[in-house]
Amino acid sequence: MSLRSLILLIINGLVFLVVVILSITFYNQFSHVIDDRILQQLNSIKTLKKIQIENLIQTEWHNFSENPTSTGFGDSLNISMSKKQFPVSGIYDLTKYHKQNKTSIGLVLVDSNQIKLNVIPYDKIKSILLERTGMGNTGESYLVGDDYNMRSQSRFFPKKTPFSILVKTEGVLNGLSGESGRGIYKDYRGIDVYGVYSAINLSNLKLVILSEIDKSEVKAPLEALKSRLLGLIGIIMLVAIVLSLFLSRIIANPIINMKNSLKIMADGDYTQTNEFVKNSNEIKEMFLALDNLKKSLQGAVNFSNEIGEMNLNALYLPKSNSDLLGKSLIKMRNKLIEFRNNENKHRINTKRQLVDGLENERRRLSRELHDGIGPLLTSLKFYIENNIESKTQQQEMKTIVDNTISEIRLMSNALMPSTLDDFGIGAALTNFIESINKSSSIHIDFEDLTNKNNTKLTKNQEINIFRISQELINNALKHGNPKNIKITLSEFDDFISLFYFDDGNGFNLDTVKLGSGIINMKERVEICKGEIQITSKPGNTTFEIELPIEDHEDH
Amino acid sequence: MKTIKLIIADDHELFRNGLKELLKKYSDIDVVDCVADGKEFIDVLKNNSELDVVLLDITMPNMDGFEVLNEIKSLNKSLKPIIISMHDEGNYIAKCAKNGAYSYLLKNTDQDELIKIIRIVSGGKKYFSPKISEKMINYIAEQTVSEQILSKKEQEVLELLSKGLTTKEIALKLFVSSRTIETHRANIIKKLEVKNTAELIKKATKINLI
Repeated sequence: MSLRSLILLIINGLVFLVVVILSITFYNQFSHVIDDRILQQLNSIKTLKKIQIENLIQTEWHNFSENPTSTGFGDSLNISMSKKQFPVSGIYDLTKYHKQNKTSIGLVLVDSNQIKLNVIPYDKIKSILLERTGMGNTGESYLVGDDYNMRSQSRFFPKKTPFSILVKTEGVLNGLSGESGRGIYKDYRGIDVYGVYSAINLSNLKLVILSEIDKSEVKAPLEALKSRLLGLIGIIMLVAIVLSLFLSRIIANPIINMKNSLKIMADGDYTQTNEFVKNSNEIKEMFLALDNLKKSLQGAVNFSNEIGEMNLNALYLPKSNSDLLGKSLIKMRNKLIEFRNNENKHRINTKRQLVDGLENERRRLSRELHDGIGPLLTSLKFYIENNIESKTQQQEMKTIVDNTISEIRLMSNALMPSTLDDFGIGAALTNFIESINKSSSIHIDFEDLTNKNNTKLTKNQEINIFRISQELINNALKHGNPKNIKITLSEFDDFISLFYFDDGNGFNLDTVKLGSGIINMKERVEICKGEIQITSKPGNTTFEIELPIEDHEDH
Repeated sequence: MKTIKLIIADDHELFRNGLKELLKKYSDIDVVDCVADGKEFIDVLKNNSELDVVLLDITMPNMDGFEVLNEIKSLNKSLKPIIISMHDEGNYIAKCAKNGAYSYLLKNTDQDELIKIIRIVSGGKKYFSPKISEKMINYIAEQTVSEQILSKKEQEVLELLSKGLTTKEIALKLFVSSRTIETHRANIIKKLEVKNTAELIKKATKINLI
């Protein structure tokens, strides 16, 4: 579930809950109050009417007993009953004896066998009951007899004789059993009403007076309230939704932006520079922290790149003591440096061993030729001199042997001049250059500034210097076409410098097809832990080679 | 006529035998012994004081020709060594001459020349053939054995310094690297016991180096 819908749901749910609870509580309270008010009002009306009716009857009874004028039995009153039916004086409900069942409350006075009878005029009772002030459109008060028939006119059926309407409702039943009370029940029409009831017991008269009002009329304002409340809930919810939408946008947008930023970073891209609206301090700080994180990761990435390209001199400062990534990277770099140094050492060692092996092999071959084959050939020569009779033949054979011997000497020297071992680099180079000078038109100047008798150069250094010089001269002869070459070999206490100059065509250092010449030279310099510098332009090519001299006596 | 008592010292048996065979033809030469290395030769020499000439190879096991020459010198014998070698470079020749060799022969020398030289040397004279001499002199000429305070190169550097040239200019002129010139200058300053270039020029002028 997205953050925004979560915020929307929570806020709106809360608002809805509060509003609904408030509304229900309010509605219930209101409806309770209304019920109470209505019943109280009905009760006062009923009580008033009861007192009025009782007063009327009392008054009529009093007047009648003071001045008992009988309207006479029978026809004038339309009541058909015999005088014997009245054993004692009192007030009777005579309705059921009336011929048209008109409501008749009779007053009977029994005096020395003479019975006087009168009926309270129905109109008087009716006018009390039909007074409907405060009863609304459906309110009415009426009387019911103990036979459950109505005694006063119904508001809803004015044409009907009240006696013909049966009212056997909760109110009447309770009233007849002598209770006064209130309640909501169905009236004689079968419609829900609010009603109050009370019994009227005077002499032999037994009636129930009821005041009732339709529930629908009472509830009408409640219904209005209900719809108004519903409307209000709707409006509040609408406002709440709009507000929460706005709020969720304020809260969620930066978080969504942050999420997107982090997603991009999680994909490994630390270079994005999106600007976001930052609408609060916390969010500003959050983005600032994100930027810092980005920068630090970027730094680590750059550093890793440098290391990846084996640029091990790259610097990196850990962001803090807990910058584990930075620390690991630095550790990795140091390991790599160590590894590279070891590898370099190993590589140079391997190369040195290879070159040493090569040079030893050359030396051996050279010696073999010089000292092995050479003497054999001279022996052959002795043999010829001793055993060949013909002088001319002897001379020819000796010439061939002599030529072979010189050839072998040349080969031996080319492989490894014995001078190098016996007299050192200075003499070896002098001899080598002398032979070149003799056999070519180039003039080579060699200046030997080595310490002849107490040189500190090792044999390997001497061999390497000799090979480098050989290579330089051979290259010049093959490609450079120079007129002059100058070579100076200067030995000092702590280093030896080989300086080479020629006035040949020169070459472009970047594009020259090196063959193996310059590469071999560089390798030999590397083996001796030395340095080489090359400059070249037409007419001026120089090689500066320096090898360190270690003072073996000191160690 | 007195016979020349000769000994051959060479590690190649065939060569020794060939040479011995060759010398047999000459009645005035008596090949007393043949040895295969320097040490064996010195042993023979110590027990036999009547040897006149030795035909000595340079490249031998145990003790090479150079050492043998020095040993002969220190034993103070009348023996006259003739080097017979495959090496034809001037430095070998010069070194042998310096160490007391009476002559220097290449192994492929003709027998006439060989006999001639044995006879000359046995008479107590040193002899180097023109070809051998030339090689030796060429080599020696290259060597500047200087007894002066400064080497030849240092002298050159000092002169250029006194003319006011910079290190780089001197390096270009003398065909060496700048660092070489710097080292030379530092060495000159050390040798003349001065502190800096200005003092160096002053002192050099004073003792007539420039």
